[in-house]
Amino acid sequence: MTETTTTEPWLDSNQKPYIQIENVTKKFGDFTAIDNLSLNIYKNEFFSLLGPSGCGKTTLLRMLAGFERFTEGRVLVDGEDISEIPPHLRPINMMFQSYALFPHMTVEKNIAFGLKQDKLPDNIINQRVEEMLELVELTDFAKRKPGQLSGGQSQRVALARSLAKQPKLLLLDEPLGALDKRLREQTQFELMDIQEKLEVTFVIVTHDQEEAMTVSSRIGVMDSGKLIQVATPTQIYEAPINREVADFIGDVNIFKGIYKGQDETGTQLLSEDSKSIIYATQKVDVPVGNRIWFALRPEKLEITRKLPEVDFNILKGKIEDIGYGGSFSTYHVKLENGRQLTAIRANRERTAEHHLTWGDEVYLHWAPHSAVVLLS
Amino acid sequence: MTRFSKFNVSAIIIGFTFLYLPIILLILFSFNESRLVTVWAGFSTKWYVELMQNQGIKDAAWVTFKVAFISSSVATFLGTIAGLVMTRFGKFRGRTLFSGMIYAPMVMPEVILGLSTLLTFITLAIDRGVLTVTLAHITFSMCYVSVIIQSRMSSYDDSINEAALDLGCTPFRTFLLITFPIILPAVVSGWLLSFTMSLDDLVIASFTSGPGSTTLPMKIYSMVRLGVTPEINAVSTILVGLVTAGVITASLIGKRQRQQLAQS
Repeated sequence: MTETTTTEPWLDSNQKPYIQIENVTKKFGDFTAIDNLSLNIYKNEFFSLLGPSGCGKTTLLRMLAGFERFTEGRVLVDGEDISEIPPHLRPINMMFQSYALFPHMTVEKNIAFGLKQDKLPDNIINQRVEEMLELVELTDFAKRKPGQLSGGQSQRVALARSLAKQPKLLLLDEPLGALDKRLREQTQFELMDIQEKLEVTFVIVTHDQEEAMTVSSRIGVMDSGKLIQVATPTQIYEAPINREVADFIGDVNIFKGIYKGQDETGTQLLSEDSKSIIYATQKVDVPVGNRIWFALRPEKLEITRKLPEVDFNILKGKIEDIGYGGSFSTYHVKLENGRQLTAIRANRERTAEHHLTWGDEVYLHWAPHSAVVLLS
Repeated sequence: MTRFSKFNVSAIIIGFTFLYLPIILLILFSFNESRLVTVWAGFSTKWYVELMQNQGIKDAAWVTFKVAFISSSVATFLGTIAGLVMTRFGKFRGRTLFSGMIYAPMVMPEVILGLSTLLTFITLAIDRGVLTVTLAHITFSMCYVSVIIQSRMSSYDDSINEAALDLGCTPFRTFLLITFPIILPAVVSGWLLSFTMSLDDLVIASFTSGPGSTTLPMKIYSMVRLGVTPEINAVSTILVGLVTAGVITASLIGKRQRQQLAQS
């Protein structure tokens, strides 16, 4: 295997997937939690399962760990069918959302627990525990009990414990959900470092789209037990396949309208939000007259007081609300038809001269290549 | 600063007097020199000495401890299992019935419970004695243990067990190494509670005991019928002391456990 193939193995048909989830279905009574789902995950990937609560992402993770049996389908890890293997015999470890530290054992004993189950000699266990403590920078806390640790420390103990057995695959269930924002952002980078250093395949479940974007090599967006889109964070953000994904990942302005055909500027859309035709570069393959949608990220909408020197993709509106975010500001602009759009502008100027303020009449404009055309 | 208002202070005094005056009097008069229970004639421990020489009371005490120890141990074992089943096995056929049956002895009048166990023993032709008292005590104290275990398990994070399984521990070892040590304080306080309840039970014991299996509360009751003596006060004082110690220990264990939970 060459270096170039390892960064995006999913594009290379010669690469063998490490985890193959094949047509897996899970039913709880009448409720279908996972609906005929197939997914390939490659070695050393940092794969995120992202979706609203109740979409089945945690169920899928628990099935990989062996805590839920699936109704149909099978799962292969490194070519081996693990569907019938009970959790304690799987070469997979999991980090739990609640951390699930053993409250009656010290940090050290918690980390050593999995190694002890494998009946490894004491000197190897001690050495491995030490390595793990160093990895998560908790050497000084070895003798503490979980009750005496902060949230961030508990999180690192849980991570060290799940990594101690050097699993082929590590599952992380909302690993950063219980941390505050600052610590969470810092820990995201630590997780990525550790994942690269140890070369473990990570599958992480999260409902936090920013977290998924930051850490993952690929993201699987789930809803109602199905995978809607599996792609890199950039693709998910810049080229969502439908309105649901576009809406779930980040903020988005959606223009509903009728497809009016192509010209040299691009795809034409007749929308009730604009008096004239609006354009997007991306081509579509549907009959003229079909309903289609344009999706525009707020930062791709240019907001100005002066009329832009172009003759298309211009919307006029009034500033309703401003959210000052320091490095950028979020503007809610009300169009003449009452529709509200969101635009984000970086605050490059320190002085107030160029600032837009409440009630200002403004123009919104976007380049045709910034818009995504959606068919559903 | 209304905390020490006249009303609060007097309420506490009246309340505590109402609850504890009889017990305090009993303890006080167990150290009375005089044989008359109502006349104070100076401090003495002679009734305790006399107690030690009373073979009847010593026998009854031995029976009581034997019964209390065995019944609380068995009740703890069964009650723990029942509590775990109720909390860990989710829904199963007959769960509501089972849960009702666990709670029944708590709400059933003791007389009925005593009578029905007596009838059972007669029907099964089991001779009444230490064994029958023990069995009867297991029946009613087991439900208290199961309630304590259930309340502990309701705040138990199931993913702790899953984490152990995930790390390669078999389900049985997970129970031994993880679940049991974590709920141990609840098990111990369940045992202490059953022990003290068995110690002070009179009604059920009188229904189910036979010759040679007179328990201490029964012995005291029968002695009182011949007149209250300082000796009875002395033995009751010891009993009160034991029960108090048991209940306090159980509640301290519970308190410590709650603090641990609050920390983690």
